[in-house]
Amino acid sequence: MTELSVRVTDLHIEFEVSGDRRAGLRQRLATQKGSGRRLIKAVNGVSFETRRGEAIGVIGSNGSGKSTLLSALAGLIKPTSGEILVSCEPKLLGVGAVLLNGATGIRNIRLGCLALGMSSEELDDRVAEIVEFTGLGEAIDRPLKTYSAGMRARLHFAISTAVQPEILLVDEALSVGDKEFRKKSRAKIESLLANAGTLFLVSHSTKQIERLCTRGLWLENGKLLADGPIADVIAQYGDDEYGADD
Amino acid sequence: MTVHDDPHPESDDQDQDQGLFSLDESVSSRAYVAEIWKRRDFALSLPIEELQSSHKDTLFGNIWHLGNPLLTAGVYYLVFGKLLQVSRGVDNFVVWLMIGVFTYQLTSGTIRGGASSVASRQGLMQSFRFPRAIVPISNMIGELLAFAFQLLVIVLCAFATGVGPSRRWFLLPVILLIHTAFNLGGSFIAARLNDGFRDIQQLIPFVLRLAMYASGVMFPLDRIIGRNDLVDWLVRLNPIASLINFYRWMILGTELNVATSALAVVESLLILWFGFRFFKVAEYRYGQP
Repeated sequence: MTELSVRVTDLHIEFEVSGDRRAGLRQRLATQKGSGRRLIKAVNGVSFETRRGEAIGVIGSNGSGKSTLLSALAGLIKPTSGEILVSCEPKLLGVGAVLLNGATGIRNIRLGCLALGMSSEELDDRVAEIVEFTGLGEAIDRPLKTYSAGMRARLHFAISTAVQPEILLVDEALSVGDKEFRKKSRAKIESLLANAGTLFLVSHSTKQIERLCTRGLWLENGKLLADGPIADVIAQYGDDEYGADD
Repeated sequence: MTVHDDPHPESDDQDQDQGLFSLDESVSSRAYVAEIWKRRDFALSLPIEELQSSHKDTLFGNIWHLGNPLLTAGVYYLVFGKLLQVSRGVDNFVVWLMIGVFTYQLTSGTIRGGASSVASRQGLMQSFRFPRAIVPISNMIGELLAFAFQLLVIVLCAFATGVGPSRRWFLLPVILLIHTAFNLGGSFIAARLNDGFRDIQQLIPFVLRLAMYASGVMFPLDRIIGRNDLVDWLVRLNPIASLINFYRWMILGTELNVATSALAVVESLLILWFGFRFFKVAEYRYGQP
C-alpha cells in the first residue's frame, strides 16, 4: 500500500465576520457586548486521508467550503480545531492568487516561484521552460494588469506546477485557457501523478474532474457528504438537488 | 456509499503516521530565521519590483529616485540657505538638516510602512505560505534602497559645501546596521499592533512626528534641553536622536556623545530582539481573512 500523503481529522474552520473585513477598536469593544458579529462555519467536521498517487476531485456548490479546505491544506488558514497532517508542504496557487499587477508576466513568474520557495539558482535554470509552458508569447513582457482571466490562469498554473510539489492543490485553474493549454495542463498533472504525487482539484465542472481524478470528495455547507471513487461521488452529486448546476 | 467511506481501509495507522507533520506548529526562532534566509531572494525581489515600477507612469521614470532627494535638498538650500539664512547655531546647516531629515525619514518610513504592510500584503499572504516576517523585512529593504539615493545626495551636497571625505565614513556600514536594527524592530512592533487594531495606522504618524521633535531633526537638541528634567531624560534615552547625531558626526564632524551612542546601540538591538519575538508570536494571524 502506498504512503499516506494527507490526513485530515475532524477539521473545523470558522470565520468571524463583522460588517467590515477587519475589526477595529470599535468592533472589538462591541464584541464585548456580544453584538454585530456572525460566525461562519466554512468547514465543519471534515475527516479524510489521501495516499500518494491519488487525484482527488473536490466538488460542491459555491460557498460549500471547497476553497477554504484547500487554503487550509496549503497552511494558509489555521484550523479552528482539528488537525491537518501532511507528508510534504502542499502548494496551492488558485486563480485568485495575488501577484504584482504592475509587474510584467515574467517578473511575476520569478516572484511567484521565489514565494513558493524555489531558489534563485534553480529559477534561473528553469524560467525559460516556465515561460514556454505558459504559451503566452510576447505577452509575457507585458504588465499583469493587461492580462485576461485566461492568461492569468495560465500563468498561475505554470508557476504552481513549476515547483513540482508532492502535493498539488489546484483551484479552478484548469477550467480556463484554450483547448491546447488544457491539453498541456492535463499532461502536466498526469506526469505529476505518475511521480506518485497527490492532486487536489477543485472545480465546478464535474466533467473535468471525472477526466482527471480517481477519487471524489463532495462538500456541502462545510460538511463532507461523500467520499469515494470519482464516478460514484459524481453520480450522487448529480442525483442531488445541489448538483443541478452541472 | 456512506459519508466517510474510505477506499483504503486502515490497518497500519501507527506505521503510516511517520513522516506526516502539521503545517501550523510554531517553529523556534532559529528555524524561523533560517526559513527567512531561505527566502531571501523573495524578500529582496519584492521591494526591487516595486521600486522599479513606482515611477513607471512618469516621463523620467527611475531618475526620480535621485531627483526627489535632490529637489528636497534644493528646497532646503533656497529656503534655509538663501531666503531665511538661518543656521540655528550650526555650521553647514543645509547638509546638517538633510542628514537629519533623510535619516529620520528612513526610520519613520520603515515603521509606517511596516505597519501598513501587514494590511496591504494580505493578498500575498493568503496566496503564499512564507514566514510573515518577510513582509516587514522587504518593506525595510525597500526603504533602505530609497535611502541609498538620499545618502548619495547628502554626500554630493557635503562635497559641494567643502566637506571632504574622512576616515569616519568607513563607519557607515556599522551605523546603518544599528539604525536598521532599530527600524526593523520598531516595524515589527508596529506591524503586530496594526494587525490587531487597524486604528494604530492612524496614530503612528502623530507618534512619529512627536518623536521627530525629540530627535533633533530640524533644530539642535540643546534648544529643548535644560528646561524640563523629564524631557532631558527622554532625549538622552531616545536612540533616534543618538543615531542621527552619529550620522552627523560621521559626515560633518560634529560632537559625538559616546555614552548616548553606546546606549542607542544597546537599545536598538533590544528593540529588534523584542520586536521580532513580539511579531512572531502572532505569525499565523497575519493575512487571515
